[in-house]
Amino acid sequence: MKVERPTKLSAVIAAVKAEPLTNRAEADLAGCYISDLLSDVLAHARPGVLWLTIQTHRNVVSCATTKDIGAVLITCERKPEAEVIAEAEANNVILLSTPLSTFEAAAKLWEAGLR
Amino acid sequence: MAEMPVAEKAGILGETRKPSVAQMLVYELRVRDAMTQAVVTASPADSLQWIQHLMKTHRISGVPIVKNSMLVGVVSIEDIINALDQGHISDPAERWMTRELVTLRDHFSLVRAVAEFDQHGFGRFPVLNRNGELVGIITQGDVTVCLMHHLEKRAEETTAREAALLAGQTHGVEGTKSVVVRARVKAGDYDEAGKVSQRMRQILRERGIDPGIQRRAAIVAYEAETNLIIHSIGGDLSAAIAPDKVVIEAVDHGPGIEKMDLAMQEGWSTAGPLARELGFGAGMGLPNMKKCSDIFEIHSEMGAGTRLRSEIVLRKAAASPPKQENKP
Repeated sequence: MKVERPTKLSAVIAAVKAEPLTNRAEADLAGCYISDLLSDVLAHARPGVLWLTIQTHRNVVSCATTKDIGAVLITCERKPEAEVIAEAEANNVILLSTPLSTFEAAAKLWEAGLR
Repeated sequence: MAEMPVAEKAGILGETRKPSVAQMLVYELRVRDAMTQAVVTASPADSLQWIQHLMKTHRISGVPIVKNSMLVGVVSIEDIINALDQGHISDPAERWMTRELVTLRDHFSLVRAVAEFDQHGFGRFPVLNRNGELVGIITQGDVTVCLMHHLEKRAEETTAREAALLAGQTHGVEGTKSVVVRARVKAGDYDEAGKVSQRMRQILRERGIDPGIQRRAAIVAYEAETNLIIHSIGGDLSAAIAPDKVVIEAVDHGPGIEKMDLAMQEGWSTAGPLARELGFGAGMGLPNMKKCSDIFEIHSEMGAGTRLRSEIVLRKAAASPPKQENKP
């Protein structure tokens, strides 16, 4: 089995100048998945990855919980409502927000070594 | 030279992924569960000498300064030492108290409290409620005591459960009985999506079901729930959790799936614009549910409704011992 070196959450935050929206401890991210379609994430994202999306509805939290997503990076400076953030906290889902577009964020993350 | 047994290797690797009971507790418990409620406070006009006296009698190392039930500062033992050193011990607290405070809210998880202790290096945090009023104080010692207390409780529960199992009283013992989680799902109620799958997942987690299997069951339940919300006029969702399997059933009364062969293909969706805006309608739901299920059945009739049934095997060997075949 190929063992890849995980990327640290703190490295991701630094790479895309992300604002952590929830409380977070240091975590390892096992890769990245980009999609704004929840069922696509449920079907294809691997557990423990960083998920990039522009979605901010509370279903993002349900989806991340169901799939054991490592952290959610919301792009384009979008931010969910306070209740969604509270729900993420309660379910230990890490939410981050970045001013970068999904494409720009992906490029920075690739440069930072996320695979 | 003998290699390390494979099973043992897997065991060691597996250990790092599975959270310990203590780790789980840190997430479950709240600051309000660990904090000290009866807080000794002083007012801004009280002298540092009086506060020193409070510290001595109550054996504490910090006193919150409160005005109209709002926290305005803290005097720590360090402030008292400085005051004694520099000769201003009879000054009012407000002249020397620390005003820039880092506080915690009573609903924060303990994991957050631990992180704040790490980050700031403070010995204690005042705890505020939702209205910003001082309700308690929390120290690192409080966190440890609270965790130890709950660990002990868990250990006692486990011992009791094992004793009950040994006594053969398996009926009603958690982990062996069947539980049904059900909910009525309303059309268009996107805010409620995921409630059944969350509850079901919690039970599977408590029963120590393999995380991959937990995830498959959660995906099926979540997709079934969102399907009812997006496509049906409303329906019922249930997850029957037995020791060896989960059966998830979604029943609605309409309108029905017009083209089942298309619906079972990836990428086909009839979701409306609002659903799509919220990230639904990828056309992956049904095919993915089928993939995640061990047995998957769906029947639909236009005008009558849709009935979906998914079975996920939880434990292959443990639950149903192989039948003795007594062929004549």
